[in-house]
Amino acid sequence: NPAFFRSTLPVLPLLLVLSPVNSSSCAMENKTTEIRVKYENILSHDINELVNMSAENRDRCCRNKNKENIKVFFCNDTEEIESLQSMACNMLRFFNKQRISKAFRRKAAFVSCGTLQVLQCKCERPKKEK
Amino acid sequence: ALRMTQPAAVLSVFAMLLHTTFGESGCTSADGDGTLGDDEPDNFDIDCFSQLEIKDSFSSLTCNFTELPPYNTNYTLSLCTEEDNNYACSNMKKQEDAFFSQFNDILSNRDVCMYSEMKRRVCRRVVVTDIVKPEVPFDINITYEREANEYLIRYCTPHSRKKYLKDKLVHQVAYRQKEGTWKTIESPYLQIKLLGKNLENEALYEVKVRSQPNGNYFKGTWSEWSASKSFRTAREQHATETYSSVVMVIPSILGFMLSVVMIALIVVFWENRIKPAVWPNLPDHKKTLEQLCKKPKNNFDTSFNPESFGYVHIHKVDGLWAKAELENFLQPSAAPETSLPEKFRSGSDLKTIPAAADNNNLPLPVSCAGVWPAEALHRLLGPSQCADTEGSCSSSTYEVCHGTRVPLHSDGSNLPPTRPLDPSGLLHPEPLNDDSVSQMLPNGDMRSPNNEEAYVTMSNFYKIQ
Repeated sequence: NPAFFRSTLPVLPLLLVLSPVNSSSCAMENKTTEIRVKYENILSHDINELVNMSAENRDRCCRNKNKENIKVFFCNDTEEIESLQSMACNMLRFFNKQRISKAFRRKAAFVSCGTLQVLQCKCERPKKEK
Repeated sequence: ALRMTQPAAVLSVFAMLLHTTFGESGCTSADGDGTLGDDEPDNFDIDCFSQLEIKDSFSSLTCNFTELPPYNTNYTLSLCTEEDNNYACSNMKKQEDAFFSQFNDILSNRDVCMYSEMKRRVCRRVVVTDIVKPEVPFDINITYEREANEYLIRYCTPHSRKKYLKDKLVHQVAYRQKEGTWKTIESPYLQIKLLGKNLENEALYEVKVRSQPNGNYFKGTWSEWSASKSFRTAREQHATETYSSVVMVIPSILGFMLSVVMIALIVVFWENRIKPAVWPNLPDHKKTLEQLCKKPKNNFDTSFNPESFGYVHIHKVDGLWAKAELENFLQPSAAPETSLPEKFRSGSDLKTIPAAADNNNLPLPVSCAGVWPAEALHRLLGPSQCADTEGSCSSSTYEVCHGTRVPLHSDGSNLPPTRPLDPSGLLHPEPLNDDSVSQMLPNGDMRSPNNEEAYVTMSNFYKIQ
């Protein structure tokens, strides 16, 4: 019946759209040892530098006490990798909007990208809020 | 139905496009492959090494061909990174025979691709953290420790001030005698010690250092050798020198301890022993005299036995002296037993002479070595005495010693035998015979031979002391 095919044809693209993208499941899901080694030898040093730089800009960062900004940096239990991915992506979006020094923005981007690189993740497109 | 199919088709195409372009990040993301599928994985021999934090936060990659490509072939090397299915490449700068590139990210997997006219692109995967070449150590310092006979070699590395390779290097120290064979020692620390006994004395040595990642995470190759430093070893340290030093140290320690002990003893015994011996107190005259005038003890030994004083020289008394003595005797005076100090009396041996107003009963005054004249004695003793002993009266010499009337004749025949002295030199009192006493005192008065008058002799002083 041609009407049947015509009615079911959009379903397949719709399924492709609605199917979950492989952005939440990072490639390093079960490779915690490798993640830890890269974090200890490389990423931890850059995070420490970013923390020290944040201390210098402490007053500027704390002025914006929007609760929405705080939520994006939370870490959920049993979802460490997903939380790290979320934090890294949010950090990229957040610091692009803030008026901060170039050096700080560069370091923040380096830490974010380094985190995604270690986890072998990608960032999702931000979902539009209703 | 046609209206439904048209939007569905558009929607499906749009979904397809979204799916393929899904994902937003400005970062690199690597998948398992890394190289483009249409590249021919042809091998080319290049040798690369990375240097972390060579300039601020930038790291570098240096590559050179181990096998040069054919002459007259234009080629370039590029450092490529895959980003979202895109291959982002940057040309490496050519420095003499090597190609050089700088970057920040050392986590991403990178490819070195060669572009030549013959082939489009040939790439090789490089892991930046596995081909690390540390920077050259510097500032070598050599110190000789004489006591231990060791040479301390210290050096520095630029990575001590950086973050990735700090405390993650192993250092190799090479040393040799001049124009000799190199010997190496490896250490993870920034100093080592060379034993002097393993080196020749008074010889010139040369030292140099290099570093390498320790292999825990970072791997790589040795750095270039540092600038060498020379030093001359000390001459042979003789056993006598060490012995002499020990000999000097031990007496010094003993002397110090002895001085401390002496000082402590002086402080402790200064008041009680040292000061009285070194700075004795001057005698006090008053106290000394008080001690001399002390009364003798009750059991003080005295003797009224004339025989005990045989050694005493008896001198003849002059007339005047005897007269003065007689006058004193005839005048009433206090009882001698009360005037005499008590210490000159002996409790049991001396018999107290009763005080009497009668002249006949007057006690004799204490007199030493005195001889009574005959008239006075005759008056005292009576005529009977003289009648019996006429010879003695005519001689008319009586010697009165210490109040004891003992008739002494000139011929000395009636002299009682001398009583020998005690070994101690003291005269012990000895009661006189009753017969001699009755002859001396015909009036019947019994006079105790042990008069209360005490002799004061030098022995008393010994007693007193």
